[in-house]
Amino acid sequence: MEHGSYTDLSKSTFSLMDEDHTFANSVRFTLNQDPRVTFCGYSIPHPSENRVNVRVQTTGDPACEVLKDGCQDLMLMCQHVRNTFEKAVNDFKTSKTEDHMDI
Amino acid sequence: MDPLPEPVSYLCGDCGVENTLKPGDVIQCRECGYRILYKKRTRRIVQYEAR
Amino acid sequence: MSESDDSMSEIDAQEQNHSNGVGGGIPDYIMNLDNIPAKLPTHLELHKTRVICNIDAPQHTDPINYSGAYAALGVDNSVRLDNFCQNFKVEVKRFTDEDIEFDMIGIDPAIANAFRRILIAEVPTMAIERVYIANNTSLIQDEVLAHRLGLIPINADPKLFEYPDNAGGENNEKNTIVFKLHVHCVKGQPRITVKSDALKWLPNGSELIADDTKPNAESKPKTFTSFRDNHDSKKKFAKNPPAPKNLDIILAKLGPGQEIELEAHAVKGIGKTHAKWSPVATAWYRMLPEVVLMEDVVDEMAEELVSKCPAKVFDIEDIGEGRRRARVVNARACTLCRECIREKESEDGADKKEKESEDGADKAIVIKKKEWEDLISLRRVKDHFIFTIESTGAISPDVLFTEAVKILEDKCERVITELS
Repeated sequence: MEHGSYTDLSKSTFSLMDEDHTFANSVRFTLNQDPRVTFCGYSIPHPSENRVNVRVQTTGDPACEVLKDGCQDLMLMCQHVRNTFEKAVNDFKTSKTEDHMDI
Repeated sequence: MDPLPEPVSYLCGDCGVENTLKPGDVIQCRECGYRILYKKRTRRIVQYEAR
Repeated sequence: MSESDDSMSEIDAQEQNHSNGVGGGIPDYIMNLDNIPAKLPTHLELHKTRVICNIDAPQHTDPINYSGAYAALGVDNSVRLDNFCQNFKVEVKRFTDEDIEFDMIGIDPAIANAFRRILIAEVPTMAIERVYIANNTSLIQDEVLAHRLGLIPINADPKLFEYPDNAGGENNEKNTIVFKLHVHCVKGQPRITVKSDALKWLPNGSELIADDTKPNAESKPKTFTSFRDNHDSKKKFAKNPPAPKNLDIILAKLGPGQEIELEAHAVKGIGKTHAKWSPVATAWYRMLPEVVLMEDVVDEMAEELVSKCPAKVFDIEDIGEGRRRARVVNARACTLCRECIREKESEDGADKKEKESEDGADKAIVIKKKEWEDLISLRRVKDHFIFTIESTGAISPDVLFTEAVKILEDKCERVITELS
């Protein structure tokens, strides 16, 4: 859910249900890396409520779009991490079996 | 009316032998005469949350 | 090159592309550091990429994420995706059925921590959730026994099952694994130890009758599950039937004449709900330690340094003419106990204290403290994580990590669709 002005779309707070530090902190990181973002932070208003508020302020672009791009970036990062990891594990496995063959 | 009361099994507190008592019976072990009897656990299923 | 350069190159052997002597007047050991954007002043680069562990407290601990952090210097601090992809590296160090240790290089703690949190709390597994006890005359109480059963890691692929709340309260073969446990210690026999291998899988579901009403002669009596004829799922599990991962977990002990008869129903869940669903014993990361000798440490000093370090980070090398020099050989083992830069009340210090006046002795100690801290620089590399995953065994640790990353991807996707 987005809370913000109707006229100025560049500053908004997004209230995300069923999310916590795991997602909010990661997306805060990717947003802070985006040069269009002037401010980004998140808070958990109450510990027993599964909700985070993510505040995004931009240099002019709609905050919603910038947040979406941040999520997209995070997703692509994850995909790269996964591919790199799987490759590293496979390399490790093959190198181990080669070691065994030598013995 | 209640259905006919079924006999209930009890364990003797002294020798551990199984006694079957009906309502009105003397509460006493048939083997050793001990007067403390324990009711056996029923087979009714109890559900627990494994937490 | 001085000694400090040598020790640096040990650590950064894989990343020696900065070592071409750029930046006149800047010490080489700084220019040799990983991931330094070429334009940033060297001291800022050091602060950006390293945590400096001083005797009193660590310094420069926070990551500098904001893209415009160095805007005043004309340096862009934003990380482009292709940049990230170029620099990100994974190196597996140890990999067994139960644990994995790997280095994740070039990633922010925010993301590394997200993976850790997901591993512990959000990767699903199967665990016993409901226990139906028909008889338990053993010493262990029903509820304690049920709790113990819940914590047993179940070797079953959670991908083959659904969450129980999807079925509208019905327990069927798609969301429940049923185990039976029936042990009896015969009178006159020695005591029995009941272990987790006594749990037997019931592929056709519950066998206990759910209600007290007498069943009709025709219809099957109602049990606690409603399994359909499940040839498919039986085939699915033919090779690897669901069972406890470890068969030697002690559940209870039975004396002569005691008996336990129960059914345990395992369902899919996540560690956030209850720790029994957590697929890992632990998952953690630490930043790569970096130990740099700023000046040569020789002879007695070198020996003292080697003996001071409990993690055996340092070693001594001969530099000819009977002289010895300390060398960093295993910075990875450093626990940052800071024993090497701590000022011991050494013998000569104590001697001085006795000989000299109070003031003089204090001064001597102060001078020496400064020396050790100046000789050794203890640091941590901010974007190099030594990640360890200890699985409970039900899912192999490399699969766990892949699943965790996928879950973070799913979260992103969910938010994107919610915003559109």
